[in-house]
Amino acid sequence: MSSPARSALPDGALHQLDPLLLDAAVAAFLNRESRLADESRYEEWLALWTDDIHYWVPSGAGNYDRDRRISFINDNRNRLTTRIRQLQTGLRYAQTPVSPMRRVVSNIELLSVGADELEVGSNFVLYELSLQASNELRIWAGRSTHVLHRRDSELAMSRKVVELVNASQPLPNMAFLL
Amino acid sequence: MNPALSAVAASLDVSERITPDRVHGSLYTDPDVFDAELQRIFHRGWSFVGHESEVPGVGDWVSRRVGRDPVLLVRTRAGEVTVLANRCAHRGVQLCTGSSGTNGSFSCMFHGWTYALTGELRAVPQPIGQGTAAAELALDRPRAVDRYRGFVFANPSGGAGPLAEHLGVGGRELLDWAADLSPTGELDLSAGWLGQRSPSNWKMWAESDNDGYHLGRLHASLWRVAPGTQYESAALAGEERVVSTCRDRGNGHIELEFWKGYDKDLAWLGTGREKVADYVAALTAARGAERAEELLWKGPPHALIFPNLFLGEMNLAIIEPVSAGQTIHHHTPLLLGGVSPGFNTRVLRQSEAAMGPAGFLLPDDATASERMQVAFAGTGGWMDLSRGLQREVFEGTDRVGHVSDETVNRGFWRHYRAVMTP
Ligand SMILES: [Fe+2]
Repeated sequence: MSSPARSALPDGALHQLDPLLLDAAVAAFLNRESRLADESRYEEWLALWTDDIHYWVPSGAGNYDRDRRISFINDNRNRLTTRIRQLQTGLRYAQTPVSPMRRVVSNIELLSVGADELEVGSNFVLYELSLQASNELRIWAGRSTHVLHRRDSELAMSRKVVELVNASQPLPNMAFLL
Repeated sequence: MNPALSAVAASLDVSERITPDRVHGSLYTDPDVFDAELQRIFHRGWSFVGHESEVPGVGDWVSRRVGRDPVLLVRTRAGEVTVLANRCAHRGVQLCTGSSGTNGSFSCMFHGWTYALTGELRAVPQPIGQGTAAAELALDRPRAVDRYRGFVFANPSGGAGPLAEHLGVGGRELLDWAADLSPTGELDLSAGWLGQRSPSNWKMWAESDNDGYHLGRLHASLWRVAPGTQYESAALAGEERVVSTCRDRGNGHIELEFWKGYDKDLAWLGTGREKVADYVAALTAARGAERAEELLWKGPPHALIFPNLFLGEMNLAIIEPVSAGQTIHHHTPLLLGGVSPGFNTRVLRQSEAAMGPAGFLLPDDATASERMQVAFAGTGGWMDLSRGLQREVFEGTDRVGHVSDETVNRGFWRHYRAVMTP
């Protein structure tokens, strides 16, 4: 049995595609991104990004000046690449062994759709087993906002903002992919 | 004596668990020890609360803990910074929620008792029936609050003697050093704090924040993908080549002197002198060429001010004890007054890279501490802290060792043992 072809996007401007087809392609992208993150498949997850990117986990609602206030994660391409390469050394003890994770992504809403870029909001609940020391089962929840682009017949992300429900609170180790 | 303190914790003697070169792991896991620490270290002694720059305007407050007691660091109408219990004097309801805010007064949600910014009780609804006179009631406060270079400390019992004595020459030098990095002598702790929650004991954080031995091993993953940092020459180049030192400054204040092993000017900022020419000029104008050049080479201190303030180079951290097995490590970038916004943004970006639950360094430190907590969870066992005992030397009253030596751990525990005497 072969896996079905990935959500191939038909040609044409995103906002002129059949809305059902676009919804399905976006949902398929988010599901795939979640699975790759859950399974710490770093290389494949990194490949979902475009070149000029922003990966942001703000310390509160994501509506502040990032040059004035601190964030949990505030990665451009360079820093995200360092993050992934650090994990890939196999010596990132905060993720050795990697945390088994499963997240549920839902409440997917297209927030805006342009010719070759769209913004989509979704909610997630993530269960993480912190196997590195305490073996605590940790629950993470929040809202993600993705900016997606057409890349040939697929979607790719240029921005992901993860607003954790408890982003204003002290958090335990978060060295995995959110 | 705190009536809430258990009899066991009140009489607990930990002295046999600390020898000159060994410490018993039960000191990290024993709840009675934790209760005794709250009393003897955080109630009876001085600990760091916050920095004046966090509350610049009248009525600004930030929420903190002194030991486990919730307090507010507040700017009063007179422009003073004070520390008040975040707890209504009537029935004990927490007055302010959240981490910071600005108030004209503090009003209790339950019955409406209202307090001035100085903690005096100003209004009691339905006052005819009030028993104790309002003038005799006020928000609790630590008996002693004092500051040094904008760093505010509290000693709830009031019996610890002057802050300057607790800090000693060493602690004052370290705080002067941090503040002197700013051309105006002012810090600007305005970027917010991130908290890292960890199932491990607070003392492990005090020690791992100031452990010069672990960098090459525990943080190998970072050096492999981010070569060229200042730590290469300062800590990673091999035991015989590294000339950095560690220093026990007394009173539990301990320091890593990475700066001695830097191989260039401004290594700590990860940039060249020409990129921060404004800063160099402003610092030189403010401090004179000699002190400015010293600061430009050394950068910020790396030290613990006992028990809970970590001067983490271009970060400050507060180590908050939650229970024997839980700690919150709060940190904020050490932003400076009198520098360009671009300079401070660079500091912010460095802080995001290194610190916090998703940083490139601290999650690994947390993991090591958490595994210590797991391993000591039963009856414990001894830790060996003898490293460098045979080669440390005195410089004045400071003990100085190789940067990888446990001179600093021994200094921490020596003071701990002294202040933990019942
Ligand atoms: Fe470390």
